[in-house]
Amino acid sequence: MTVMNDKNSGKRAARARLAEQRAKEAAKAKRKRGLIIGGAVIAVLAVAAVIGVVVQNDRAGSGAYASPRGTVGAGGLMVPVGSPAAKAVLMVYEDPRCPACGGFEKGFHTTLNQLEKAGKVRIEYHVVSFIDRHDNGSGSKHAAAALGCAQNAGKFHDYHDVLYANQPLETTDPWADRAALITLAKKVPGLDTPAFESCVNNGTYAGWVSAVEQDFDKSGYNSTPTVLLNGTSAYPTYNGQSITPASLTAAIDKIDS
Amino acid sequence: MVTAHETVQGGGGPVGGAPAGRPRPGWARVAPWISTAVRLGLAVVWVWAGSAKIADTAAAAQAVRAYRILPEALVKPFGYGLPFIELALGLLLLLGLGVRVVAGVSALLFLVYIAAIASVWARGISIDCGCFGGGGAVAASHTAYLQEILRDLGFLALCGWLLWKPPGRLALDSWVSGEA
Repeated sequence: MTVMNDKNSGKRAARARLAEQRAKEAAKAKRKRGLIIGGAVIAVLAVAAVIGVVVQNDRAGSGAYASPRGTVGAGGLMVPVGSPAAKAVLMVYEDPRCPACGGFEKGFHTTLNQLEKAGKVRIEYHVVSFIDRHDNGSGSKHAAAALGCAQNAGKFHDYHDVLYANQPLETTDPWADRAALITLAKKVPGLDTPAFESCVNNGTYAGWVSAVEQDFDKSGYNSTPTVLLNGTSAYPTYNGQSITPASLTAAIDKIDS
Repeated sequence: MVTAHETVQGGGGPVGGAPAGRPRPGWARVAPWISTAVRLGLAVVWVWAGSAKIADTAAAAQAVRAYRILPEALVKPFGYGLPFIELALGLLLLLGLGVRVVAGVSALLFLVYIAAIASVWARGISIDCGCFGGGGAVAASHTAYLQEILRDLGFLALCGWLLWKPPGRLALDSWVSGEA
């Protein structure tokens, strides 16, 4: 009886040892599998990141683009209006779809046009297009590119004023349809030519528009209109005073004299 | 005891659930399916977040730049690379491959995002987080930092569940380990 018991317990102990060893091996295999899977996951993520950077860099393009005739500044990003000799320079960042820009234009474009015709001020326009990102759509980009086409035809300022006079609500995006921009071009005598239409429809200045926008992105200014009079912010306040057509005229006259 | 346990598991092996000596048959059956649902939910979040940031490269860069944390030289690598990492995380979750590691990386990423949003908030900068596309400066009245952080904390909780109970049913992980 005792012998039998010893024999049984010996067998049991051997079985237990075997089971223990198997469990150890299984645990080891599981750890190994976990390490392999973990490494593979990290590798997949790293490859995805590299692919993303390479593909997107390629898609973002080399940065080569055509600027409209007569643009100035580094990269031809600014559209100048008025006498190059004017001592007062108003730098304006405007988005065609931005309602606050519409407000600025409504309040000041008559005054500015008079000052510009009198040779007292030169305006340098940066036509930016970030509203498309905020509110979705493509109206800002299309309008900015059409403004480039108008600049190329020598009729930027008239077309600019027509667009702001007919600005749609920010929440709607009728200028996503380029035909609407061509229809508005008919209000500017001599602008609506076959060359202008194909320039608008082909997005000839789309690359220029995104270069202007990227320059704005990096400028640190983050809203439109941003208006600088000889480098000093001039809208909605200038030197701490709320700006009006009269005070803007006085400030420009002071610089001019 | 062991036999009963295996019957409950449907012979599926020790997949999560009942601790030894305290079997909860219902829980053992339900928990892996909850993991599956969490996995798929998080996969949708990542795929959505990643793909929304791929079409417009300039917007992707500007969304990163607007945080004013990274130097200009790193703006594009992050703006271009992160969406693809998010997409890859989503696809791995969908497949159920390396779920625990993917959940860990996801949690880390959400912690970074929460910290970045909190930092922007603390510095008084007004931006859209650009979490699901878009991004960049917005009017101060249009910021939604609290909602953005709470949302990311919710996603973080999903990661926590997956770290605790990976990989759930219908996962390639189970197939790889021969437990499917």
